[in-house]
Amino acid sequence: MNFFIKKLLIVIPTLYIAWTVVFVTLNIIPGDPVNLMLGGRPASDEVRENVRKNLGLDKPVFERYTSFLINATKGDLGKSYLTRQPVTTMIKENMMPTIELSIGGLIFGVFFGVFFGIFAGTKPNSMRDTFSMIIALCGISLPSFWIGMMLIYIFGTTLGWVPIVGEGFVSLILPSITVGLFFAGGMARLTRSSLVDVLNQDYIRTARSKGISKYRIVLRHSLRNAMIPPVTLLGIQFGLLITGAVITEEVFARPGLGQLLLQAILAKDIPLVQALVVYMTAVYIFLNLIVDFTYGIIDPRIRLERNRG
Amino acid sequence: MVEILNVSNLSTAFQSDYGSKQALKNISFKINEGEVLALVGESGSGKTVTSLSIMGLLPNNAYIQEGNINLIDKKNNQVNILKLTDDKHNLIRGNDISMVFQEPMTCLNPTMTIGDQIVEVILNHKKISKTKAVKEMIDLLGLVEIPDPTQRAREYPHQLSGGMRQRVMISIALACTPKLIIADEPTSALDVTIQAQLLQLLMKLKNSIVSKTSILFITHDLGIVRELADRVIVMYHGEIVEEGQVKEVFDNPKHSYTRNLIQSLPEFKLEERKLTKKDDNKQTKVDDNEIILKIENLFKEFPVEKGFFKESNETVKAVQNISLNVKKNEVLGLVGESGSGKSTLGKSIIKLLQPSRGQIYFNNENISEYSNKQMIKIRQKMQMIFQDPFASLNPRKNILDTLIEPILVHNLMKKNEAINYIKEIINDVGLPIESLRRFPHEFSGGQRQRIGIARALVLKPEFIVADEPVSALDVSIQAQVLNLLEKLKKTYNLTMIFISHDLSVIEFFCDKVAVMYLGHIVEIAPVSKLFNSPKHSYTRALLSAVPKVKGKNKEKILIKGDIPSPINPPSGCVFRTRCPNPGIDCKGGNIEMGLIEVEPGHWVDQCCVNCN
Ligand SMILES: Nc1ncnc2c1ncn2[C@@H]1O[C@H](COP(=O)(O)OP(=O)(O)OP(=O)(O)O)[C@@H](O)[C@H]1O
Ligand code: SF4
Ligand SMILES: [Mg+2]
Repeated sequence: MNFFIKKLLIVIPTLYIAWTVVFVTLNIIPGDPVNLMLGGRPASDEVRENVRKNLGLDKPVFERYTSFLINATKGDLGKSYLTRQPVTTMIKENMMPTIELSIGGLIFGVFFGVFFGIFAGTKPNSMRDTFSMIIALCGISLPSFWIGMMLIYIFGTTLGWVPIVGEGFVSLILPSITVGLFFAGGMARLTRSSLVDVLNQDYIRTARSKGISKYRIVLRHSLRNAMIPPVTLLGIQFGLLITGAVITEEVFARPGLGQLLLQAILAKDIPLVQALVVYMTAVYIFLNLIVDFTYGIIDPRIRLERNRG
Repeated sequence: MVEILNVSNLSTAFQSDYGSKQALKNISFKINEGEVLALVGESGSGKTVTSLSIMGLLPNNAYIQEGNINLIDKKNNQVNILKLTDDKHNLIRGNDISMVFQEPMTCLNPTMTIGDQIVEVILNHKKISKTKAVKEMIDLLGLVEIPDPTQRAREYPHQLSGGMRQRVMISIALACTPKLIIADEPTSALDVTIQAQLLQLLMKLKNSIVSKTSILFITHDLGIVRELADRVIVMYHGEIVEEGQVKEVFDNPKHSYTRNLIQSLPEFKLEERKLTKKDDNKQTKVDDNEIILKIENLFKEFPVEKGFFKESNETVKAVQNISLNVKKNEVLGLVGESGSGKSTLGKSIIKLLQPSRGQIYFNNENISEYSNKQMIKIRQKMQMIFQDPFASLNPRKNILDTLIEPILVHNLMKKNEAINYIKEIINDVGLPIESLRRFPHEFSGGQRQRIGIARALVLKPEFIVADEPVSALDVSIQAQVLNLLEKLKKTYNLTMIFISHDLSVIEFFCDKVAVMYLGHIVEIAPVSKLFNSPKHSYTRALLSAVPKVKGKNKEKILIKGDIPSPINPPSGCVFRTRCPNPGIDCKGGNIEMGLIEVEPGHWVDQCCVNCN
């Protein structure tokens, strides 16, 4: 069977499990969504009962669980408790800023990660190696919210180079750096170690025996072979990109799926949380599929394996 | 004679945490235009360091202390290579001097097509268009006799066999018609028949298109030196100890190391042994009546591993329908190329692998269906010696613990008795008693193999399978270990199966030889019969492929192509796809394989008997 069809077949059970986990946890944690909806205002039992009925909360847990499933197959993920809007509409409305932020973070992270990785890996144990790896370590260990706030403070408030709030490309720079830094750290470290490894391979010695320049050896002979581990990391870290986006949106007060999710959880808006989680899981899986696909482009040996299967 | 390279007073050292270590001590030599200069010496003698110094490819922790390497480049300028910057050196590498490395499996970039890798070197040094370079590349692939070059050029290294890859490496080295090609053990990792193909190709190219190119051929195989080289340099511990015309050096070696090296060759040992054997005929007594091991129609097939979700009903047919006997005190040699199934057969016999079908009788007891538990008792009597002594020793146990463990497990002796007994054995294998307290990493390759042998002996086995016990060792060490085995065979009254791909080692050590090809035994005969009058086409070709130091070189019987996959071996005679002279019946592939006895004790595959 084709490699990708197989991969796709795993998507449905994964989504199902993710969604079930969310459903169960949200039903276990204490707190009545009706209370939260009423915002603590006193209300008669009758009103409460009405709200409950409206939201479908009067039905037994199991029925709610199955009816969601049935509706989900029809493409209906339910309505938000809070706004009574279909959750899909809410997600669509908030999607763009988050996608922009993620892409920005991804580009920033990959670019700087790979750059510092090469910078360090082509001359291991040198000053520049140490320097790059210290920066990478900072990227990994400093919390994003702190980095975000420092960036705002330095570049926004003190220097005034970039606007802190607002729309458009410029306002995306600082949040992207915030999301990307964490990413960049891991990428840099892995690119470095993998490059050092590759540069010690026999075929690099062969390339050198052909009289090929240093630059070409790194760019043409090493990078491609060295990129497999960092690309894998990329796949794993897409999750971090999403959580990074949630935090960053909060710090920079940007609209987006992160903000939406935060509000939904605080309000115990079960359908919205479910839909968001399912949606983010789907995106995560999809991105990983792309990563799997790029392996084949990077390494012909993997491509061949797949074609044979 | 025009001199193209002159190395003078070259000293190279390695810097390490323990201080610096001298790898080359003041060596000087020259290479003339068009000659083949062989560089021989044991492992670690500095052969590779010499070539890397010339190429400017020494690892970072190495540095050149002094010396000059002068090259006459293509424009007839003299350049001192050691004075060049890396960029300037790049103009010479691949252009004036190129290199073929030892490891065909890892020397090509796995993510570039082989075509691109050849085109790259052409474009790097010649000012021609890409299309023209591609055309040159296809021509080069044709020159190194890669079939279907246009198609192959688009393939990746992992799609090619080791022999093919080495051809690609040669074409890269040839691409700019250099003044000098350095070939560092280019065939050592390959099978003899493939090696013979490549050496013949090299010589053919040498005598045609690159007749002015010199070759610095690094090898540990004196047979190759004899066949190929004009002059030879012998290195020992980083110094050149002998230099001269090949014939001169071989016939009249001056330095004691060279003399030793030549005399420790199994070929020479064999002669000595033939001389002494006459008087001690009674000593090696093979008991004709007592059959220790009898194998009937043994098969071993491995399911083909596929990925996670994939299933497959294909199998690797590693051992096919093998029957043989080993008599008491006899040494049966198993010889064949890599992948022929020698080790699988050896392991199946002592049941480290469970055979797929067939019977194994050990001392008339049918052990083929024995469980691991039942085998424990039998294993006391059947032991194995492995090729890589280090991998098979526990690095965290000292030698005493390693050796005493099996004795205590089998409850053979009390502890202090056992210690004394082990001291005896360690003495027998020629190691000092102090070795018992040391750990595996503190020993050299040859010493580790002695430990491996001691471990096989502690349980006083009757029967030992030795799987390439000397292949990882240098020639001179090889001879010592072989002598030791020979001696122990007598003192311990052993019966052995001795696996090797090295025909001269087999000839030296064994009484009877079985030749394997693609899972089948194609011929079994007493040593002298097999080597003097081989009957099977494969045996003949195999024998002729081995470079010999002594005697005239007979016309080689070259085997075409690569060994077919053991997943889908050819029907009928498995050798028919590469056979130099297949009979008319063979070509169809519908004859059954099976051994028949042509003379007492000499068994040959029946189809081959019919067509020859
Ligand atoms: N990277 C290294 N670091 C330290 N010492 C090294 C290194 N490479 C080689 N040496 C040492 O240099 C000496 C010469 O090694 P070299 O590789 O030239 O031997 P060789 O004759 O090519 O052996 P072989 O037949 O095993 O290839 C040896 O003592 C070896 O231990
Ligand atoms: S049987 Fe025929 S094909 Fe096979 S080795 Fe003999 S001659 Fe060659
Ligand atoms: Mg070497």
